[in-house]
Amino acid sequence: MPIAITIRPPADALLTTRDLRVEPIVVTEDLWKLYHAGKVEVPALRGVNFKVLPGEFVSVMGPSGCGKSSLLYVLGGLAQASRGRVLVDGNDLSTMSDAERTKLRRDKIGFVFQRFNLLPTLDARGNIAIAQHIHGDGFNSARFGTITKLLGLTERLKHRPSEMSGGEQQRVAIARAIINDPKIILADEPTGNLDTQNSEIVLSMLSQLNKDLGQTIVMITHNPEAAEYSTRVVHMRDGVIVDGVPAA
Amino acid sequence: MIRQLIVNNVLHRPIRTIVSVIAVGVEVALVILIVGLTSGLLQETAKRIEGIGADIMLQPPSASVYLAFSGAPMPIKIADKLRELKYVQAVAPVLLQFSSSNGVDVIYGIDPKSFRDVSGGFVFLEGHDMQGPDDILMDDWAAKAKNVSVNSTFRLLDHDFHVAGIVEHGKGARLFVQLSTLQDLSGSRDKASVFFMKSTDPNYTQAVMDEMKPIFPGYEIRPLKDFLSLMTATNLPGLNAFIKSMIVLAVSIGFLVILLSMYTTVIERTRDIGVLKSIGASKGYIIRALLGESVFICVIGIGVGIAMSYGTRAVFLSSFPTLSILITPDWIVRSAVIALAGGLLGASYPAWLASRKDAIEALSYD
Repeated sequence: MPIAITIRPPADALLTTRDLRVEPIVVTEDLWKLYHAGKVEVPALRGVNFKVLPGEFVSVMGPSGCGKSSLLYVLGGLAQASRGRVLVDGNDLSTMSDAERTKLRRDKIGFVFQRFNLLPTLDARGNIAIAQHIHGDGFNSARFGTITKLLGLTERLKHRPSEMSGGEQQRVAIARAIINDPKIILADEPTGNLDTQNSEIVLSMLSQLNKDLGQTIVMITHNPEAAEYSTRVVHMRDGVIVDGVPAA
Repeated sequence: MIRQLIVNNVLHRPIRTIVSVIAVGVEVALVILIVGLTSGLLQETAKRIEGIGADIMLQPPSASVYLAFSGAPMPIKIADKLRELKYVQAVAPVLLQFSSSNGVDVIYGIDPKSFRDVSGGFVFLEGHDMQGPDDILMDDWAAKAKNVSVNSTFRLLDHDFHVAGIVEHGKGARLFVQLSTLQDLSGSRDKASVFFMKSTDPNYTQAVMDEMKPIFPGYEIRPLKDFLSLMTATNLPGLNAFIKSMIVLAVSIGFLVILLSMYTTVIERTRDIGVLKSIGASKGYIIRALLGESVFICVIGIGVGIAMSYGTRAVFLSSFPTLSILITPDWIVRSAVIALAGGLLGASYPAWLASRKDAIEALSYD
């Protein structure tokens, strides 16, 4: 039975080929995001220049309010950039309409949130399958089976979020994020609501997805231990990226 | 998948769903019962008048097809003139009196012989024909509703009547008294409200009517063959407006309840809407999901409403046997369409609101 999972080159291989001009999957150029508090403009991003290569697992770290989440939302097309350019897989989000960004999100981006954000009325199976349904390709049972097996969810598919532990819920959220084989996963503090044991499980799974399947991941975290799972760590402060070095 | 989401969402808040379903059910039942009651009463009345067996009905100028609204402005001697016409076999003058003293009734004051000549006579279930001036005949439905038996005394128009017989229903009215007695009681001596005529052959009905027209210019001369088609809500002033008003009222109930229910649903599911947006659900998808919930609630509500209509009718008819509630497939379909349209309209604004929610704000909603 064919398994519809795209096997991408491992991140290590990509890192070594960075100099060979591999096209980045995410590019931001002088990216600004301004929020309005009454008549006052509050800049969350102040000219971010940032690139992510295919197969990378990038952690974005920084203190609260430094613009990490804003960067993630703009990369994911949930928020529109105020200035600058954002390219995801060659698509310039800054010029796209809301509907076009929605379509891009549907086809190329998977989100994992701190609070899991599963639909409470659906069981685990429904929460994963709805992403396939919205994607529009119908239910792909082979891929569904592979993903749920990979994430150890086979026995929990009939359980609703309220019947699952935090770790299980986050694994369902990861399954939902990757079920449509997205180009990139955007994870916003995915272990922020988990205990140490479950955090390790979730981070290991993300790392496994990156290493085994070549899944590109951008993860927001303020936890240095979580960042150790990634291949590169980027630090933000006051709305700008202050460095970006491969993790140990 | 979207169907599973819709069904699960609807079942997630059972009390809210039940309230919404009941509201739609009441809306549907109101429409069905109001229309059923008016058309049922009209049709039943028409059938009873047709059941007299006359061929022609003569009424004073501008008289309503609804006999209960007729007064008594015609001299009874008109009957003699009518009897002289060619092809006229029998003429029965009838005086009508509306009474609300012991339930709502239309009383027929009849001359037993002439009425028998036109109608072929009553079918007596108990007792006998009127013999004295204070005798009264009742049809079986009225006797059951008023719990009256033969030979008992029945007070009507401040007068004590002796129940002489109980007859089979379907001959014009439910209560029959002597014409002269009713004339005395209503101060309409030598007057009649309507003349029922029987021709020697039904084929001569038009010929008789043509002969009558120049003799009774301006009078309402109607063939009873088509009486049923005349008894519609449009022929009764105000009834159509009443029905429409009640339908609007019923739809408003459904509309407002669905609006409120879906609005609270959208508020409650703000985060879920944000989640759907984050996984790429379009505005159309979110609107479809919410309208789908409304349709689902409406469909169950319509089923409940239809069941409520039949249940209410059964209760009404057991308590008020003289009532007639006509539930037709036509109005069941119409009420369903009305409820569905109201539900969709009520859910439209909340659905639109949901589709426009900012994904980031929605995701951070608590």
